[in-house]
Amino acid sequence: MTDRRWSSPVFRLKGHLDAILTGAKYLITPRATVRYPEEVIELPEGYRGFIEYKKDICISCGLCATVCPANAMKMYVERAAEPGEEAPAEEVKPKRYPGINYTRCIFCGFCVDVCPTGALEHVETHDVAYEDFNSMIYPPGEFAAGPPKPEFDTPPRRLRPTMDERRGIAYEPAD
Amino acid sequence: MSEEEHVLELLIGPQHPASGHMRLVAKVDGDVVVSLRPDIGYVHRTVEKLAETKNYIQIIPLIERPPLADTANHNLGYVLALERLLGIEAPPRAQWLRTLLAEMTRIHSHFYGLGIHGIMLGSSTAFMWAFWDREIMIELAQRLTGARLTYSYMIPGGVRRDLPPGFEDEMDKALRYLERRIPDYHKIFFDNPVTRARLEGVGVLRREDAIRLGIVGPNLRASGVPYDVRKVDPYCAYPELDFNVVTREEGDSLARMMVRVGEIRESINMIRQILKKMPDGPILEERYLKMIPPKWKEWMAQHRRIKLPAALISLRPPKGEAVARVEAARGEAVYYIVSDGSPKPYRFRVVSPSIRNVVLFEHLIRNCRVADIPAIYGSLDYFPPEADR
Repeated sequence: MTDRRWSSPVFRLKGHLDAILTGAKYLITPRATVRYPEEVIELPEGYRGFIEYKKDICISCGLCATVCPANAMKMYVERAAEPGEEAPAEEVKPKRYPGINYTRCIFCGFCVDVCPTGALEHVETHDVAYEDFNSMIYPPGEFAAGPPKPEFDTPPRRLRPTMDERRGIAYEPAD
Repeated sequence: MSEEEHVLELLIGPQHPASGHMRLVAKVDGDVVVSLRPDIGYVHRTVEKLAETKNYIQIIPLIERPPLADTANHNLGYVLALERLLGIEAPPRAQWLRTLLAEMTRIHSHFYGLGIHGIMLGSSTAFMWAFWDREIMIELAQRLTGARLTYSYMIPGGVRRDLPPGFEDEMDKALRYLERRIPDYHKIFFDNPVTRARLEGVGVLRREDAIRLGIVGPNLRASGVPYDVRKVDPYCAYPELDFNVVTREEGDSLARMMVRVGEIRESINMIRQILKKMPDGPILEERYLKMIPPKWKEWMAQHRRIKLPAALISLRPPKGEAVARVEAARGEAVYYIVSDGSPKPYRFRVVSPSIRNVVLFEHLIRNCRVADIPAIYGSLDYFPPEADR
């Protein structure tokens, strides 16, 4: 059933005016977006960003590589010493450690949730630009060196989003 | 000239009109579309076949990819089917948390659809507004799950995280903001005479045609059929929630849009009820909870997260089959799993709402103007990747 009122030109004119006035009202409200490289939105605690790997508490169980839905996590075989070298048997024995391929990672966080010793944990950053494909692949050594950190020419202003009844999300300076 | 020579075949696409690649093959006589055939399949991702090569838990991120925007509802459909196969049920609090995320996703998915519809009509204001208001729910979902869209939040036997501290207050502010915003949407877009002129009486789907063609979701309800899986086959916390099935009688493009707006209002009410009534308790099923060592149980209580027990990553459901359906934002989604007792499904089938609604292109876009194509397309909230799977 079409609303009859819409056939009246006066009613339609009112509709146009309402639309324009509403638009005008929002002309003076603050901008919703942030200017990214100068301003960075702080991600919430528990955000599933890059993964931090603590090799010293890793027990080489391989659950992270098993659960990975994107085959991003892979177990690498490592030896502390090569066979034939003068070294204790413990160091010659091959051990397996996870490495990650960030070209494949989908940040589902299953590896972090399944890790039985807590050797894997998310950090709250996600914005890193790589110059080439291979640098996105982290074998265990590089993986253990810590998650990649975003680089900015000038330190950005950090903003924390909070819900706001009038604006939806209001950004407050975080530091 | 003969009748034949009047008619020109116009290939619209393959391109990315607004939401995923597709092609429309239109036969036009001047400015009048005589017939139109959707040519789908450009974003086919072999989800069903890929699922046969993956462990059950690895399928969760996979099935979230096709229906992007509406990830949680599809995640839920799959997990419900898998739980039926395993013979387990999530504890009450997990059920309520699932319902909460499903409704939050419904709100931002509807805003996504409304925004796309807006830009198809040439209203970039509606597009910008809807995409901003979508951000409110995405921000809150990010605090709950740790990701913006691909939540992978629901796992067999429960959910992965509990509510973060202070979530209720933030959600309350967000919902009040959305409620304030909707009247302004009416003024600037829904009740804008331009929108009315473009949508009213355009692409009318009659009630009996909607039923005959097997249409689902808001498109069906806009033709006056009060069919909603949340009511006819309730799951999770829906039986305990008080909500209305939004319907309209007109069946035109405007009615389809307004049903979505009505559903946003209903979801806002539902989220309020959920946060008020949510029971306390564990968020993971007992048999899996038992497998977690005590030192992690403390950590879990402190961080309000769960640890995945190793048993969950190599689930071996008994031989058999299971089916589950949910009311996703775009309509009824059906998940069907056949298990042969191995850690990977023997057969996996997804019937998404978009594939059931795609027939409307052929049915509705007929004897209308070329400019009505985007007006009707947008009103269907059709999402090619979801249909192609």
